[in-house]
Amino acid sequence: MIRIKGLSFRYSGGVKNALSDISLDIGKGDFLGIIGASGAGKSTLTYAINGVVPHYIRGDFYGEVVVSGLDTVKAGPETLARHVGSVLQDIDGQMVSSVVEDELLFGLENFGVPHGEIESRIEESLAAAGISELRSRDIGTLSGGQKQKVAIAAIMALRPEIIVLDEPTGELDPQSSRRVFETLRSLNEENGVTIVVVEQKIMLLCEFAGRLAVMSGGKLISEGRVKDVLMDADKLEGAGVNIPRVATLARLLRKKGLYSGDTPADLRQAEAMMREVLSDAAV
Amino acid sequence: MKGFFGYNPGNSILHRLNPLTKIVISIGLCLSCFLTRSHIVILAVIAFNLLLSASAVGLKRSLKMLLSLVKFSAVLFVVQVFFVKQGNVLLRLPPGVIYITDKGVLFSLLFALRLIAAAMPLSAMLSVTRISDISNVFVRSLRIPYKYAFVITTAIRFIPLFSEEMTNIMEAQTARGVQFDTKNFLKKIRLLLPLCVPLLISSVRKIEGGAISAELRGFNLRKRTSGYKTYPFGWSDAAALAVCGLIVALTVFV
Repeated sequence: MIRIKGLSFRYSGGVKNALSDISLDIGKGDFLGIIGASGAGKSTLTYAINGVVPHYIRGDFYGEVVVSGLDTVKAGPETLARHVGSVLQDIDGQMVSSVVEDELLFGLENFGVPHGEIESRIEESLAAAGISELRSRDIGTLSGGQKQKVAIAAIMALRPEIIVLDEPTGELDPQSSRRVFETLRSLNEENGVTIVVVEQKIMLLCEFAGRLAVMSGGKLISEGRVKDVLMDADKLEGAGVNIPRVATLARLLRKKGLYSGDTPADLRQAEAMMREVLSDAAV
Repeated sequence: MKGFFGYNPGNSILHRLNPLTKIVISIGLCLSCFLTRSHIVILAVIAFNLLLSASAVGLKRSLKMLLSLVKFSAVLFVVQVFFVKQGNVLLRLPPGVIYITDKGVLFSLLFALRLIAAAMPLSAMLSVTRISDISNVFVRSLRIPYKYAFVITTAIRFIPLFSEEMTNIMEAQTARGVQFDTKNFLKKIRLLLPLCVPLLISSVRKIEGGAISAELRGFNLRKRTSGYKTYPFGWSDAAALAVCGLIVALTVFV
């Protein structure tokens, strides 16, 4: 679905590469989380996938990014946009209308979706994001979590195969953050949409994402299934990523030779791990 | 600001009129107060404006809007009244060079009333018409390129965002001990000036994000006929325009 090969990018006027030599394959239906300290190149990587780099933000671009069979350098961002939907970091800045319904209409109208189909698409995507009741509300009066869902619904209405989100929960409280991720999970599982999400909250990624990519200093330092990536705790800490406490616990137990299984990704798995360790200790 | 320009959701007759009709009516009512020199006619137009606005958004809100306009015009009245030197002197202030004349009072009153009568229909129109509907109808019916319509709607939409941003910056500075609540006006200005830089930077960043987001959703693919909503012109529009025409004609001949 997304194939990145030897990608390096330097912003024009920049001294250092924002991305250096990144290779990454994202399959259809994947739910990939990208994590790393600020300045690690996470946003730039999302820009490389949706074509903002090198089309809107210029710089030196090396390597190859192929999305849905389209080379992002050759295909214009508008062509790409039919396959990749993007939710940007700034919640307020990315809105183009003052009413929820108009926000959804914007993309639908621009891409020339037949007018007979528009109504059903609006209803469908509002329902998928769980915000049907917000349809005629003024965006300025919504909470951060609601706005983020509006942004996701506006992208959903365009029915992209891939959705790329840059810190969708950056300005949200823990509860709204969870709801946004639950929305993403249902899109992923029920509609088969490939999700690529940059996120700082590692616990959310561990719980919802299938795969994890860790970035540091423009490089991809680790990538794979969540529990495999969590195994290498030292590498994660080196990249400035706070590993979840359950993973720290697993690491300590492993060091003491008390545990040798998978690293737990959430509380339930941690509970299973502790039961296993304690029952071993009882014997 | 928000109260004056903000849209008030509703389903009154005015809400349902064609946006273009509403624009024409509000411009017509604005013009009417410049076509007459009679205080009473202007007062009548103001009363009519108030009635219109009250029928759509309620009396309370309309009176509030009127009150804020009255306050603003009162200031202008006071400034204006000292500049007219013709006529009989009514009041002479202590130094002797500054005085108020009867003509001055009448002229300034006309000026203030006109201001109120001209601003009311615009404000009322904006409170019953969504900005997006105005821009849609401009693109569709008046064939204004979408780019320009988008610029205007975006500018209006960003006003509250900027003021929120400004509040954030000011709060951050207050937390660092800057005293914005000083009574000295000049000092306050001096404290506020340096905030323009961070505000400008964050605004430019916001706008850049908005531009990218719009382009990623096919902004450049849009055509005149892309708009989904249609704005039919009905009997109620014709009737409303006729009433408006009548009022303009009356102000000219009365």
